Amino acid sequence: MNQTVRYVIFTALSAFAWLSVGSSPSASEQRGRELFDLHCAFCHEDPPAGLKKQPPKLEGVFKAKHLPSGAPATDKQVRKTIIQGLRTMPAFDQRLSGPDINDLVAYLHTLN
Amino acid sequence: MNLRQLIPVVFLGILLSGCQSKTKHYDLRGQVLDKNPATNQITVKHGDIPGFMPAMTMSYSVKDQNGFQPVEPGDVITADVIMANNGNEYWLENVRITDESGRKTIKPTVHRLDIGERVPDLTLVNQDGKSFRLGDFKGKAVLLTFIYTRCPVPTFCLRLSGQFAKIQDDLAKTPADFAKTHLVTISFDPKYDTPPVLRKYGLAYLDNDPAGFSHWDFASTNAGDLRKIADAFGLEYFEEENQISHSMVIVLVSPEGTVAKYWSTEWTTAELEDALRQQEKVGIVPAQADRQRKAG
Repeated sequence: MNQTVRYVIFTALSAFAWLSVGSSPSASEQRGRELFDLHCAFCHEDPPAGLKKQPPKLEGVFKAKHLPSGAPATDKQVRKTIIQGLRTMPAFDQRLSGPDINDLVAYLHTLN
Repeated sequence: MNLRQLIPVVFLGILLSGCQSKTKHYDLRGQVLDKNPATNQITVKHGDIPGFMPAMTMSYSVKDQNGFQPVEPGDVITADVIMANNGNEYWLENVRITDESGRKTIKPTVHRLDIGERVPDLTLVNQDGKSFRLGDFKGKAVLLTFIYTRCPVPTFCLRLSGQFAKIQDDLAKTPADFAKTHLVTISFDPKYDTPPVLRKYGLAYLDNDPAGFSHWDFASTNAGDLRKIADAFGLEYFEEENQISHSMVIVLVSPEGTVAKYWSTEWTTAELEDALRQQEKVGIVPAQADRQRKAG
């Protein structure tokens, strides 16, 4: 194996390792995902019929400038929506703790 | 069958399978609190079901008699929750008893009012802070249900309010029906669901038009009277870990002020509307003008 081939293999492996580390979720994001699956997914992922309004999908919720409600897509606004509810979305006040909401927001940031 | 004959059959099969409404399966583990042979339903206090709901107490139908018969209140069970028809139908399958030792610890549930019995004339406070009594609606067919505004389960309170909103809209299309009917949504969480919270909640279901409150009250009352109303209609609810576990009850009250019909988890909006219109027509008490409320 000549020097060039070894260099290419080393570079490819390094890039793969870097990408793997870069894409693995943090503990907070991982917990946020579990909370999302438990509390949010039923409405926001595949809502059943019978609701007054279809809840919006949350993919890329922080990638846009505005939330589906039209409010600015900021952590503060999303936290407020989760705690107080919005229109037919129920308030998660007292159901989710502050750290829970931090983890949820961290996970929502990962959605593209 | 040669290949040329087989292709359309395979294609048709794929097409038909795509047309069928998809079902979802979730694993449930919990304790049976109540069993109702009349409806083939059991009420289960279960743990978290990821993707479906957090820990909750809910009533489920068990269609398979072999699964339903052996179960007794107090049993710990495992089962599959099957959800179909976009979440409008769900039931339990593969019910297995894993522990029978709790059978003696479960208290019998309160006996709810029978069909034809008079509804208790208790006082409630609505979204505007005004008091009214259930007896104020004599002459009208009343559809009444129970929710709490923080309920996150789309097949429970969110569905109830969403479908009551549809009933409200449908009845409004026929003024005669609208005038002889009324909707009441009662919160069993009066500590959180104060009149301003109920008003905000109600407006979300009334397209932000407060005029709708004249036909649909969102109300609650003190803890003692709330329990009396809940017991009268067989509603179970209890607070646990920052949430309220509860069963689902819809009651149709006749224009005479008696219980005309109950529903739990299995109902359609059309069925509720038909029952309301039927009651409104058989009512023997002349419909009164909208109930008297004190101004202010």
